[in-house]
Amino acid sequence: MATKIIDEYAEMMKAYEQSGGKVGEFSNPNVPSIVISGNKVLGKNEVKGLIIEPTPTKDGVDVKITVKSGTKILYPMALCFGVLPKEGTQIINMEAYIEDNAGMNAISHCVFPNAEHIVHKMRYKVHIGKHSFFRYKEIHFHGDKGGVEVVPYTEGTVGEDSYFESTFTLKEGRVGKLDIKYNVDVEKGGKLELYSKVWAKDTDEVNIEEKGNLKGEEAKALIKSRVVLEGNSHSKVVSVVNASAPYSRGHVDCMEVVRDNAVAEAVPIVGVSNELAKVTHEAAIGSLDSKEIETLQARGLTEEEAIKVVVGALLK
Amino acid sequence: MGTILEIEDLDLKKGNKYIIKDFNIEIEQNLISVILGVNGAGKSSLAYVLMGLSGYKPERGKIIFKGKDITNCSVTERAKAGMTLAWQTPANFEGLTVREYIEIGMKNKSLFSVKEALEKVALDPVLYMNRVVDKSLSGGERKRIELAAVYAMHPDLVILDEPDSGIDILSLENIKKLILDFKENGSTVLLITHRDEVAEIGDKAFLMCNGKIINEGSPAEISDFFKDECSKCDHKGAPEKSLAKNERSE
Repeated sequence: MATKIIDEYAEMMKAYEQSGGKVGEFSNPNVPSIVISGNKVLGKNEVKGLIIEPTPTKDGVDVKITVKSGTKILYPMALCFGVLPKEGTQIINMEAYIEDNAGMNAISHCVFPNAEHIVHKMRYKVHIGKHSFFRYKEIHFHGDKGGVEVVPYTEGTVGEDSYFESTFTLKEGRVGKLDIKYNVDVEKGGKLELYSKVWAKDTDEVNIEEKGNLKGEEAKALIKSRVVLEGNSHSKVVSVVNASAPYSRGHVDCMEVVRDNAVAEAVPIVGVSNELAKVTHEAAIGSLDSKEIETLQARGLTEEEAIKVVVGALLK
Repeated sequence: MGTILEIEDLDLKKGNKYIIKDFNIEIEQNLISVILGVNGAGKSSLAYVLMGLSGYKPERGKIIFKGKDITNCSVTERAKAGMTLAWQTPANFEGLTVREYIEIGMKNKSLFSVKEALEKVALDPVLYMNRVVDKSLSGGERKRIELAAVYAMHPDLVILDEPDSGIDILSLENIKKLILDFKENGSTVLLITHRDEVAEIGDKAFLMCNGKIINEGSPAEISDFFKDECSKCDHKGAPEKSLAKNERSE
């Protein structure tokens, strides 16, 4: 049994590394971390001021993370979620409480290296107190078979003068089916930044729905998505900012690049219900700029190499 | 000193109009050859034809580079053969840093060479290396980064399409010095401009009008002709009309 768990941990670490993570983080006592494979918690490290409370369930793990008031966590927390078999379901219910005057950065790698039919659902509740911050990066690695269905839903509140930044990146391997939803309220002086970067291929399906609600005076939101589509992939990006408080400011910036037979839709929705609020948007769907490609070709890259550089930079 | 580039009887047609017609030129190795001409003379189109860009395939004629016919070669093949182009209005690249951009064309990538290239265009490497090559740069900054990138490539032939446009007077002296440095480093320069004060740094100059070379000589001679004749010329800006006239006179 112990050997099996060690093997599973090693395989998770291998996939973690393939997705760009640094394995050494999990052996550093100063770095808070958690490793979850399926519904098993394979490792956990807490640091002063940070409490990690995982509870295994039938299909996954419920995790409560609390950053205590007045604590700024020095090193970014490393999270590794994944399913190693070809088939399976993983449901992670995560609640993050960042108390007042507290802050943390976290990088989460979700790895499904052998996926043929995997469902990964992440229900995320984020509560950020006053004068606090939380930066969360989620990076996915799916292998090349496209058999993953990823459903991350995030709900949250950004407290007074606090900051929440969430970045979702899926550019290695196939996407499979992706359905992201964000719905975040921003209180007085708070700031929200949501970034989605996805490279869809073959028959991948991407659905992104991001919503920021500016409820407090001088609240701010930026919702930015970059989706590159190839083959017969399809995407729909709905970005919403509602501003109901005076001096609140929002901006939506969506760009989708289409190649081959892919299809993209972008729907920016901006709502203002206070005369002193302002929300702007920009959305662009198109092919790769031939001038960019030819510029890189004039430096000696082949067309395919140039496309890789342009797309890679766009999703960086 | 031999010929590095020969263009023979080149025609480029866009729609029903000839942009370049019966174009012939020989560019000597390791010299700065200037192509001077008013806006609309076909100078940038010539640069795009030479680099093999899409939409700029000649209808007729040959391009010989280092003794090899490259008329049907791709942009990449031409670049690998030692030719490159600095665009008049360079493209932006969201997410790509200045350092990454400059390194793309370098044979031996090194931080030292990136810094050197930026210093050549009077940009402080500390301030610029990690900036992104996107619309956050001013037109002049982007232009100088373009020149730094082609400088770092050490090409055999560099086509500089209006390197002086959008550059302030003080920076113009840096750009002129950089062009001389290209030559010093063994590159041949094909300098496209409509400013006679930039043309003066060349070794040889050609006057282009309505898609043709109509005069050649020293930069001083061609600049004088350009100032005296081209500014008064009534066919400026209407090349197709004038070309039709020339064809009739032939």
